[in-house]
Amino acid sequence: MQSEKKIKVLIIIPAYNESENIEQVIDHLISQAPQYDYLIVNDGSTDSTLNICEKKAYRYINLPINLGIGGAVQAGYVYAAKYNYDIAIQMDGDGQHDIAYLADMLKPLMDGTADVVIGSRFIKKEGFQSSKTRRIGISILSFLIQLTTGRKIIDVTSGYRAVNKRFIGIYAKDYPTDYPEPEAIVTAVMHRGRVMEVPVQMRAREGGKSSITFRKSIYYMIKVTLAILVCRLSYGFRRAKAVPERAERS
Amino acid sequence: MIPSTLRVTLIIAVLCYFIIILYFLKQRALNLKYTLLWLLAGAVMGVLVVIPELLVRIIHIFGIEDNMNGLFIMCIAFMLMILMALTSIASRQNMKIRTLVQEIGILDKRIRELETSIEEQQDKSKTPLQATGYQTCSAVEQRGI
Repeated sequence: MQSEKKIKVLIIIPAYNESENIEQVIDHLISQAPQYDYLIVNDGSTDSTLNICEKKAYRYINLPINLGIGGAVQAGYVYAAKYNYDIAIQMDGDGQHDIAYLADMLKPLMDGTADVVIGSRFIKKEGFQSSKTRRIGISILSFLIQLTTGRKIIDVTSGYRAVNKRFIGIYAKDYPTDYPEPEAIVTAVMHRGRVMEVPVQMRAREGGKSSITFRKSIYYMIKVTLAILVCRLSYGFRRAKAVPERAERS
Repeated sequence: MIPSTLRVTLIIAVLCYFIIILYFLKQRALNLKYTLLWLLAGAVMGVLVVIPELLVRIIHIFGIEDNMNGLFIMCIAFMLMILMALTSIASRQNMKIRTLVQEIGILDKRIRELETSIEEQQDKSKTPLQATGYQTCSAVEQRGI
């Protein structure tokens, strides 16, 4: 019903030292999905990311201090809220997320069947599947989120997400720091958001390094586990009642 | 009982403590809001040094045998409280800085866009004016400010 109206969509691309990838990702985005606005959030990069954005006259905001992925993504949501966007999509600036799936991710939001859509690489088990140890870590976090919120989300660490206007406002005010992806799901469920997973394929990174190295993974698991628990506790007993539809797992 | 020499030392120490805090407050190097807990700690220390019997009684209520141990435990408890308050202040400031940085980023983009639109306007208004000889028209006038 809403799809007839002109819906403003913003694609948020957080970028920290992504000079190797950003040009390719954005040029691809501009050529393949020109109907959507995009916004690069340069998170205090120390390499030439800013220069590239400037030279190529991309749409970007430049954070003078490195805030980390959470703060950068939130800056995008603040921008989206300020300029009245109806839907915001966040995707990584390293080319892992394929814009071919944008339409799939937007559909549930346009139809009004979901509030938060997560692009999940594990539903169809196609494309880049990450290493085995990481998959174990992800399934532990997934189980933990199910335990605390009652919602089964498989790919809890996916940074490929789309949210509707209501959640643009919520995330603009309240978005977790450090490793925000799993925690943001808890935030969404606690605000009675209908979280839906949509199958996507991801590619292995085209360049640069993952923000999570092997050494950091133990710290990551402890930090995220605690963050999920604290996040769940901070919302008290306000448990989401609405039962959202799940994406068909065909 | 606390020996009297120690009491004198402690009184001097507490006085020094207050003088340092007041000095910092006078220099505006400390915000009174964040100093209240330090002042409270100082006041408690002062009272206990002047009336040690109070300390002995409080310590015995908690079941601590040795007076000096009791004193140390109280000091540590106060320090933990202050540290926790500091952590909470740091966290709150962290949040505020985050909001500011995001806001600066968004404003920066807006300024850039304004600048380009002004430049475009200037370029547009310049060409016909120059042709008619109005070169003295200043940039400020062109912008309509």
